[in-house]
Amino acid sequence: MCDVQEKLIAWLDHELPTDESAEVQRHIEGCKQCRTRLAGYEKVSETFDVYCDVVVAAKTRRRVPRWVPVLAGAVAAVAVMFLTFPRTRIEPPPILPTITAASVPVPAQPAPETAPRKTIHRRHAVAPVQVRAVKWQPRETAVQIAIPAEAIFPPGAMPKGMNFIAELSIAPDGSVKQVRLWQ
Amino acid sequence: MRDDSVPLALPLLRLAAGTSEVTTLYRELRKPLLRYLVCLGLTSDEAQDVVQDAFLSLQRHLASNGTQENIRGWLFRVAHNQARNRQTSYHRRFGEPLDGEMDFLADDATPEQRVLEKEKFRHLAAAIRLLTESERECLLLRAGGLRYREIGEVLGIATSTVADTVERGIKKLAEKCNV
Repeated sequence: MCDVQEKLIAWLDHELPTDESAEVQRHIEGCKQCRTRLAGYEKVSETFDVYCDVVVAAKTRRRVPRWVPVLAGAVAAVAVMFLTFPRTRIEPPPILPTITAASVPVPAQPAPETAPRKTIHRRHAVAPVQVRAVKWQPRETAVQIAIPAEAIFPPGAMPKGMNFIAELSIAPDGSVKQVRLWQ
Repeated sequence: MRDDSVPLALPLLRLAAGTSEVTTLYRELRKPLLRYLVCLGLTSDEAQDVVQDAFLSLQRHLASNGTQENIRGWLFRVAHNQARNRQTSYHRRFGEPLDGEMDFLADDATPEQRVLEKEKFRHLAAAIRLLTESERECLLLRAGGLRYREIGEVLGIATSTVADTVERGIKKLAEKCNV
């Protein structure tokens, strides 16, 4: 067993006085066994260093709170919902005079091309509906009215209980722009 | 052992109580301190807290004209003592199996290399668990770049004891890891 064996690690760490360090170095150069031991100590020291880094990296990586991925997922889901279903304006219900089936205002102009081809007979002459001026302007169809078939056709011409739907499109100035009638 | 072996690396004479010097020290020593504390077994958050407290203590120490010798050792000692106060059994955590956390180690390595590396660390972790608390602390401080004299100051033991403890620890690891 070599005398300097106990000093190998201190020599490796540059912790020996100069004269002792030189003595150990001379010995190492001529002793294969000590060189092998020294290589082992160096390797263990390096592995220990790397292991420390691994531990630190692993623990630092854990610092991300567990709820962060959950929160990120929730934010992503909300973003997808907004992109998929664009926000629609909630508009107030149309302010129109109460219209009953008996006083259906059917305009005189011809029905649009999509209207059914049935002839509409007006049973009562009614004054045109006076649409109240409102502050907001509907952009699309504002009103749908259910009209019993008896109100349009002579009794017995249509089965009982049949209704027609009249859809009134309101122009920006408040007037009736278009009427569509379907069964 | 060589007492005049190493300059303590810090420009102590320039170290006034000014915050700029403390900031410089913080940049230089924060990572080694964190590494030491985390390897002792503190969580990352605990280690961050301890490091910040240690530097606050340093600022107070310098402001009250405390000694400016071996500030690195001083900081490690303060951090070490705070860590001990926080976690009396922290040493058991170092050397815990790291299974499941090793994947990031060698992203570009072959599967065989990954297996070998994992096996190597598994052996080392098992060997580390066999070290005494003093051996473990000495080796950690040594891995942090501290000299034997500084280690002795941090742990409150003689330099020759540090040398013996380091040698014993390294030999244990070498024996258990078959190197």
